[in-house]
Amino acid sequence: MNKINAFAKRNFLEIIRDPLSYIFCLGFPLIMLVVMTLVNESIPPEAGMTNFRIDNLAGGIAFFGLTFVMLFTSLSIAKDRSGAFLVRLYATPMKSGDFIAGYILPMGILAVIQSIITFVVSYIVSLVAGVSMNPLGMLVAVFALLPTMVLMVSFGLLFGTLFNEKAAPGLCSIIISLGSFLGGVWFDAEGTGGVLLDICNVLPFFHGVKAARMACALDFSGDFFIHLAITAGYALVVLILSIVVFKNKMHADLK
Amino acid sequence: MNAIETKKLTKRYKTKTAVSELDLTVNEGELFALLGVNGAGKTTTVRMLSCLSEPTSGECFVCGKSCIKEPQAVKEIIDISPQDTAVADNLTVFENLRLICGIYGYSKEKTSAKIEEMIKLFNMDKVRNSRSKTLSGGWKRKLSIAMALISEPKVLFLDEPTLGLDVLARRDLWSVVEELKGKITIILTTHHMEEAEHLADRIAIMLEGQIAALGTLSELEELSGKQGLEESFVAIAEKYGKKAAG
Repeated sequence: MNKINAFAKRNFLEIIRDPLSYIFCLGFPLIMLVVMTLVNESIPPEAGMTNFRIDNLAGGIAFFGLTFVMLFTSLSIAKDRSGAFLVRLYATPMKSGDFIAGYILPMGILAVIQSIITFVVSYIVSLVAGVSMNPLGMLVAVFALLPTMVLMVSFGLLFGTLFNEKAAPGLCSIIISLGSFLGGVWFDAEGTGGVLLDICNVLPFFHGVKAARMACALDFSGDFFIHLAITAGYALVVLILSIVVFKNKMHADLK
Repeated sequence: MNAIETKKLTKRYKTKTAVSELDLTVNEGELFALLGVNGAGKTTTVRMLSCLSEPTSGECFVCGKSCIKEPQAVKEIIDISPQDTAVADNLTVFENLRLICGIYGYSKEKTSAKIEEMIKLFNMDKVRNSRSKTLSGGWKRKLSIAMALISEPKVLFLDEPTLGLDVLARRDLWSVVEELKGKITIILTTHHMEEAEHLADRIAIMLEGQIAALGTLSELEELSGKQGLEESFVAIAEKYGKKAAG
């Protein structure tokens, strides 16, 4: 546990001391929150479009922010792998599990902090916009986003292990764009229906966003748990896959 | 007990044999230099001895423990300062040292004592709170060695420790390494003749993955019939080249 704590602390410090993490992990999602709220103000009520109303938007933006945690996880790992720092640690008694936990833990903490800040800002925006939001719902939404957090950190671990620091961010950008689009953050996937909704339903992103939105609204009807279970299932699969890939890669590096 | 022992240690890549049937023994407390040009197999040898690379064949032992069968036990008693500076960029000097103490499970008291000991030994007091990325190459290299030393290794591997350093920084680092002589076993890889001449108890000249000659400076001079390590090295390399060609 000492090894994990020490390594996790190092990773956490490395991230919070990198100005880019504030720009991408906090700045960008929060700017989108404000911009989309302004967009919502410009949409006439008769259009009946509520996707960008702050009570709907908050869960989506919280999800969107987590995709940047994936980007940072992958960058941290890819950067470590390209330098001699990890080589030095490979020569210590640290085992692959210590490395994996040491990467996942601080990123998980970062993801939770990011979600809390997003919902706090959303609450402030809701007060300004005159839209009612339940603080308890937002707190539950942070918990509902836990599977998504695991999913994104696991994707980060996977891409950071497999690709170098040039390729990993590119791949993450695809997931960021696809994830937020097919997650229904920027459009009403259910209203659109058809093949697009079918694709959304197959992937975990839509379910992650839906679970967060429903939790925000304290709507715990049957679908909520289905959305949560599907996201958790994906998260578990990607987590296991990333662990296996990391262990194999570490073993190959020591060949 | 020997600090290092290798038996027919070999590392083969797809098209190249980096280290070939290396037989080597290093005594405890010795400062042993692996001297050779780039690509001679020095770093590969160190990587195998520090469990960072599996040998293709042969055996290697550190303080009697097998690098192949007991890598975890070996990792408990060694540390390495790799060729490239291996420090956490956004951490301060103090935090980098604390990280290694954490990895080795030191108590709070021992961590504080060891950090102060390293800061004093390497004269790092004025940079203790500076982030590593702001340090000069010389300070970074010192920190890298301090991070290796803080784990109290029985065997310390210094892979090209003065690579890329200016003459003053190099001399500064030599004085630190000299202070460690006799206290722990040090395996130093270098292609600087002057460095090996200045620091090492014994020198192994590595050429094309094999040891071409091994001994103290005077033994190497006697073997080559030349004065000074550089002249001896050239003579031995030429003789080895002719032997390999013939």
